Amino acid sequence: MTEIDLEELMENLAQCRRCGICRDAVYEDMGFDGICPVWKNTAGFETSFMRGKLMIAIALLEGRLEKTADNAEALYSCSLCGNCTEICAAEFDPTKSLELARAVLSDIPNEVRDAIAERILTTNNPYVTDKKGKRDWVAELGFEPPTKADTLYYFGCTAGMKLPETAKAAAKLLKAAGIEFAVLEDEPCCGSVMIRTGRLQDAKENAKKVLESIQESGAKIVLVSCAGCLKTLRKDYPEKFNLSMPKVVHFVEHFLELVKSGKIKLKPLGENVKITYHDPCHMGRELGIYEEPRDLLKAIPGVELVEMETNRRAAMCCGAGGGLRSYDPELSKKIAADRVREAENAGAEIIANACPFCEQNLESGAKLIDSSIGVADIVDLIVDLIE
Amino acid sequence: MDQKVVDELARIVGDEFVSTRDDVLLTYSASASIGYDSVRPGAIVRPGSTQEVADILTVANKYKIPVTPRSGGSSLQGEAIPRPDGLVIELLRLKDITVFEDLRSVRVGAGITFGRLDKFLNQYDLWVPVYPESALVCTLAGNVAVNGAGPGSSTYGCIAEMVLGLEVVLPDGTIIQTGTEGNPNAPGPFLRYAFGPDLTGLFIGSLGILGIITSVSVKAFKKMHHFHYETYGFDRAEQTEKFLMDLKQNEIGVLFASIYEGEILSFFMDMVEVEFGIPKHEWPPFTISAILGRVREDQLKSDTELTKRICEELGGHVIGISELPRGEWDKRMWTFARTSYLHGWHWRILYHHQTPSNWHRSIEEIWAVMDKYGLLGHTAGFLTGHGSYNFYPHLYFDPQDREEEMKVREAHKELAQRLFKTGAVPFKLAPYWIEDVEEMKDYLNLIKTLKRVMDPNNIMNPGIFGEM
Amino acid sequence: MNKRIVSELAKIVGEEYVSTREDVLLTYSETASMAKDPVTPGAVVRPGSAEEVSQILQLCNKHKILVTPRSGGSSLQGEAIPKPDGLVVELLRIKGITLHKELRSVTVGAGMTFGELDKFLNQHDLWIPIAPESALVCTVAGNVAVNGAGTGSSAYGSIAEMVLGVEVVLPNGEIIQTGSEANPNAPGPFLRYAFGPDLTGLFIGSLGSLGIITKVSLKTYKRMHHFHYETYGFDTAEQAEKFLIEIKNNDVLPMFASIYEGPVLSFFMDMVGEEYGIPEHEWPDRTISMTIGRLREDQLKSDVRKAKEICEQLGGHVIGISELPQGEWDGRLWVFVRTCYIHGWHWRTLYHHQTPTNSHRSVEEITAAMDEHGFLGHTAGFLSGHASFNLYPHFYFDPLDREEEHMIRAAHDELATALYKTGAVPFKLAEYWKGRMEGMEDYMKLLSAIKEALDPNGILNPGVLGGI
Repeated sequence: MTEIDLEELMENLAQCRRCGICRDAVYEDMGFDGICPVWKNTAGFETSFMRGKLMIAIALLEGRLEKTADNAEALYSCSLCGNCTEICAAEFDPTKSLELARAVLSDIPNEVRDAIAERILTTNNPYVTDKKGKRDWVAELGFEPPTKADTLYYFGCTAGMKLPETAKAAAKLLKAAGIEFAVLEDEPCCGSVMIRTGRLQDAKENAKKVLESIQESGAKIVLVSCAGCLKTLRKDYPEKFNLSMPKVVHFVEHFLELVKSGKIKLKPLGENVKITYHDPCHMGRELGIYEEPRDLLKAIPGVELVEMETNRRAAMCCGAGGGLRSYDPELSKKIAADRVREAENAGAEIIANACPFCEQNLESGAKLIDSSIGVADIVDLIVDLIE
Repeated sequence: MDQKVVDELARIVGDEFVSTRDDVLLTYSASASIGYDSVRPGAIVRPGSTQEVADILTVANKYKIPVTPRSGGSSLQGEAIPRPDGLVIELLRLKDITVFEDLRSVRVGAGITFGRLDKFLNQYDLWVPVYPESALVCTLAGNVAVNGAGPGSSTYGCIAEMVLGLEVVLPDGTIIQTGTEGNPNAPGPFLRYAFGPDLTGLFIGSLGILGIITSVSVKAFKKMHHFHYETYGFDRAEQTEKFLMDLKQNEIGVLFASIYEGEILSFFMDMVEVEFGIPKHEWPPFTISAILGRVREDQLKSDTELTKRICEELGGHVIGISELPRGEWDKRMWTFARTSYLHGWHWRILYHHQTPSNWHRSIEEIWAVMDKYGLLGHTAGFLTGHGSYNFYPHLYFDPQDREEEMKVREAHKELAQRLFKTGAVPFKLAPYWIEDVEEMKDYLNLIKTLKRVMDPNNIMNPGIFGEM
Repeated sequence: MNKRIVSELAKIVGEEYVSTREDVLLTYSETASMAKDPVTPGAVVRPGSAEEVSQILQLCNKHKILVTPRSGGSSLQGEAIPKPDGLVVELLRIKGITLHKELRSVTVGAGMTFGELDKFLNQHDLWIPIAPESALVCTVAGNVAVNGAGTGSSAYGSIAEMVLGVEVVLPNGEIIQTGSEANPNAPGPFLRYAFGPDLTGLFIGSLGSLGIITKVSLKTYKRMHHFHYETYGFDTAEQAEKFLIEIKNNDVLPMFASIYEGPVLSFFMDMVGEEYGIPEHEWPDRTISMTIGRLREDQLKSDVRKAKEICEQLGGHVIGISELPQGEWDGRLWVFVRTCYIHGWHWRTLYHHQTPTNSHRSVEEITAAMDEHGFLGHTAGFLSGHASFNLYPHFYFDPLDREEEHMIRAAHDELATALYKTGAVPFKLAEYWKGRMEGMEDYMKLLSAIKEALDPNGILNPGVLGGI
């Protein structure tokens, strides 16, 4: 398997001096208005935020705490959003260290984690034990994309199975822009959630499968509409699994170029429509893509971009990531509801995003608090606006 | 007092410094507190050192003799009236002064008055910039025990804010040093908050119930030589109150600022106009007499200009008569005693604090009580510290008229209760403030608990806070 | 912990907010204090109000359960390490901010951090000008309990100087309010010295051993927007020390002024030179990094001129590198944490105070200890108030080297003794000062007596206050 240097991990974990800044730092100059969404949305014991989680991880690794599902709960009650890494003053990455600790401690029982991995490995998606349905949206397109082309639309499990409208919109956009693209016949899951939850070895095997499929399609460029897929394919595959990937590009990046170069023009969305943008952790903090989605939104006539209290590197998480949505759905939704409130406070009518996984959870959050705010993928917003 | 006890006291301080003579006891039966009943003590002792104070308290404890510490005898609210047959420990013989130029501080024995200290520090171009009204009489230690304020307090707050540490003799005779000097190796007083909970504060405003302060260490500052004296006129109380807060909020070095209502100012003018050389003027409904002071001249100019602007922005005007504030400030160690006694009345005072924005509430209550009881008096006060205003209203009576005196006492008590309801607070506690106030029972209990543990025989100034 | 007690606790705060889970207890066995042995408590409770805290303490008193109050868990000297099978009372749920604009003050619940408060006050163009190093983590109430200092303290002193009153739950469960708010009719906090002995101070620096602070009222000030950042070079420690005293004497307003010795500064530069964008420089023997701040620009200019004049009169020179003080000041809520952790070492700190003119003695002792034991560390410190200098030396060790850690612990404790002998004092009596304060036995006896009176069962954070 991909080698984890345990000694290095322990050294990194020892960099945490338990200062506690990862709990709830409010630092206006740097844009932070709280750090840990889990701390904020649970009973709030020390186990809920990174300082405590790392203490637990160290204790489990050193054998001072018995390796039980209960004792490992803190490790998994985390969306790995990385906000704590941004504020952390020490020279290590607490989020990545926790992710690695999950991998080293993957022998601790965790049914949710294992069931997801099992589904991904057997049925190419984390959601159901059935391969059917992931590609159903293609049938509703009105045209049949090929399975081989220079550009591959790697649509991802969430768009394919949970938000097919987004997948359809993406495909329509590509067509409207005159881009010839392929869609895989049996698209494997990127395996992001396996990496996050510690099933690293399986994730590596899965990654090879993904790469093979992509190679089979002959794609020189892989377009994704999901921030999770983006980070996994663009960053994790080469860095963790040493895989050589073709260029992986997010829709937002790609279409911003097209708009900028005048290749596509956008019609007005309406009049002074207040839209805020939610930074997906995988795109923002992980890859530093903050301005492109905003620039694209600003390029839509009739849109007024408003910012939430926390944004960019200090943005609060939607609560879906790191396996949390499966591990603790209620908590995950509460976190999303918090984010929805933040958008409401910013006066936004719509929370735009660039990640179906975020979108799905934000919608759950909005429902939880009966919010009438619109949640929309940027792709959905612009699909009908192309002149 | 039992001769055996007196002998023991004499052994400690020497025959010369103990007295049980009737005439002597009589002179210690009252203080500058007017309108209080005299109480004859059993003996007076004048110790010359902290160790002597400690030995005296050991004896007093042994015989359970109630003790009244006293220094200048200038307190106005009955803080140093002895107990019948009790022992008065008078501290004026504790006379040391040590300056610590590098530490920006000075240490004085309990017998040193503000006047004496001021003269001493002047040699070094230093001062302690807070002067109580009785600066030429009262000692710093005594002032710390009652937590006083006065000219200078508008910038620097009450005397508590100056304190860096205390030497205190506890009721059992133990000698404690607080602040940095608690460390015998320390170069002197440089920090109050040393060694954990702030024990210094416990003795500030304690009226001598928890121990006898034998030495006080206070901050010293470079003496200011740049002052600006000005009067500012306003039509409404609200503007006047706001003006004071704005001065603080804008970091103006306002050393002393008083609000005078028109009526009260006329009364003051009748008294001191000629002495201060104040020109005739149609004073507005509200006048603020202010002294701005700074170490550096350019700072003062900046303050003066901004003060004028703030005044005018609030709809006030600069009156241009400087003699009133100048009279207050330049003779600050005497003037206030002068205005207290010049008029011939006796009076009772009711020190209390409001926040400036609540100034008018005190005024209303004071007038209401004066009207109700048909008394004369005044309502003066001054800005003190961050956001407070120190009132020292006087209720006058004819010293020959016993009935009027009793009326003043009654009015005084009622006024305290009425002021409490307006949100006023005293620096230091007196029973008339919070008797029967349910919400403060636990607070008082805590003080009682501390008193019990520090003074189990309850010998120190018992009763001064009400029954413990 | 006994199940019955746990269910009683659950009745008080709700099931959700009590835990006896092994993993939870583990995370409360330590704080940010390094080189301290973890101690696993028996339960953790997260009350939501002072009333709940009161009920918890009553219950603990009944069953003689040892209680450790905790908020941010960011203290560095073992102040919040629990007792075996004891109860941790974690106060972060007690939120709430009330601004009293017209009183120039604000009241915050025990769960509010400096970062939260600063953001809130900024909306009103106000601030509390002091920020401790852990401002984004630690609560204001926790900081009052340990009496912290930090940026802003060079002008305004320790956090104690900001406090206008506290709401405190005594060990017996009584809820006390100190300061002007003790009067239930008061418009809010406007004066600390109200109602007699200063009870507020008793809880400042008490390390939670005399009561649990549930609310703090503090002074607010108009936020400054004019700053000048400068470095001043000197050839000797004496000149640098004198510079700080003269700055204070001449009423220059140093928001934050630190002395760096040459080697320590080089070390800092290696760490953060690039992050701050500090140009390469041959630093002198002593460098003072200072941020001067004023509300008004003309005052600032005047201060800047005066500081230069004083520097040159003392034989120093203005270095002209502003990035160091600017980095410290502008990033004050974060950069000190950064410099604490960026280098990878673990460390122990030994907060203490000297007067500036004696700060070289601390540096000598610390350097001697580092040489003798062969460990790395630094000697940094800053001016903190009227005439004191707050040193926060760090002694480094490799977290994976148990032997080195124990050497550091021993060296740290030894150094406390050595520093005490130079005249240094701690703000607060962290546990290790126990037995190291020769000549202060009577002081400690008084502290013990007070502790015993307030907490007869000794349930509240026993041992932490210098062993009491």
